[in-house]
Amino acid sequence: MAEISAHGASHGDGHGEVVHKPNHIYTSLGVDSRKLGVWAFIGSETLFFTALITTYLVYAPVNRARPDFQDPKEFLGIELTTVLASILLASSLTMVLALAANRRGNLKSFRNWMLATILLGIAFIGGQVYEFNHLNHVGLTLSSSMFGTTFFVLTGFHGTHVGIGVIWLLATLVKVLKTPGSPENPIDVENAGLYWHFVDFIWVVIFVLIYLI
Amino acid sequence: MSTHHTARDHAHEDSGHGHSDRFYWMVALVLAVVTALEVTLFVVNEGGMIAKWIEIVILLVLSTIKGAAVVMYFMHLKGDAKIFQFVFIVPFSLAVTLLLLFLGLFGTYEGIAG
Repeated sequence: MAEISAHGASHGDGHGEVVHKPNHIYTSLGVDSRKLGVWAFIGSETLFFTALITTYLVYAPVNRARPDFQDPKEFLGIELTTVLASILLASSLTMVLALAANRRGNLKSFRNWMLATILLGIAFIGGQVYEFNHLNHVGLTLSSSMFGTTFFVLTGFHGTHVGIGVIWLLATLVKVLKTPGSPENPIDVENAGLYWHFVDFIWVVIFVLIYLI
Repeated sequence: MSTHHTARDHAHEDSGHGHSDRFYWMVALVLAVVTALEVTLFVVNEGGMIAKWIEIVILLVLSTIKGAAVVMYFMHLKGDAKIFQFVFIVPFSLAVTLLLLFLGLFGTYEGIAG
């Protein structure tokens, strides 16, 4: 039987069988090229979010000096944000437990932890929608002040990433459940998990820099 | 026995994941405690009991602990292949450097695009 192998090219195994070795999966360093791609993507995302965070912080004194000044302390509460931070941290736990269950071959446990992660992600988005609606009602909008612009762009992009993460996790869950014996499943789950944990990591930074400091 | 590695074998080699579920629960507990400490400090110090700069330093240290725990243990970067560490840590270090430079240059400047 053909086997997916690590080192590229195809050759006979000495018993009349051909072993297929897809070159595209592993790099010359011996690591999975898809996982390397996800890590490189995460590296670029770090720069992307740093640009948005830097913009928020650098424009804070500009916001204070402008006639349409809105004070962040009057608008941002930490009650809901603490709940949202806890939800994302909990979802990181359920995600890593899903990966561990998948590696053990425990499909039922994997499915349950993945569903928990997806539901927590949806809960986070729901909480953020509620927060944005509330802020709009009290006068903070995307165009009401420099603070509103930089705040909504930063947190909105993060929320968008959470949404993309939920879709990625759903697609991975469906794929694994449809092809439970696929040798690609562990790396697929791991890559989806890497992205999800990164989204959590970014919220750790946003929580402290935007809401607490 | 075949010396060929399957994709599943390689996935294990790449990641070096050797932690138990109990370990992940412990990491999550630490993250929850640190988050509680952050929020408590923020709330308690609203009256200005300690200097703001001390509060900021403590909050930054606590959030660094949280971020490092997520990256090292949940993302398994600790003990993973060096190339993964490289492609994350290099842009992250660059990002932090640029953030500090911009804050140093414009952190108190009211004129930028104002």
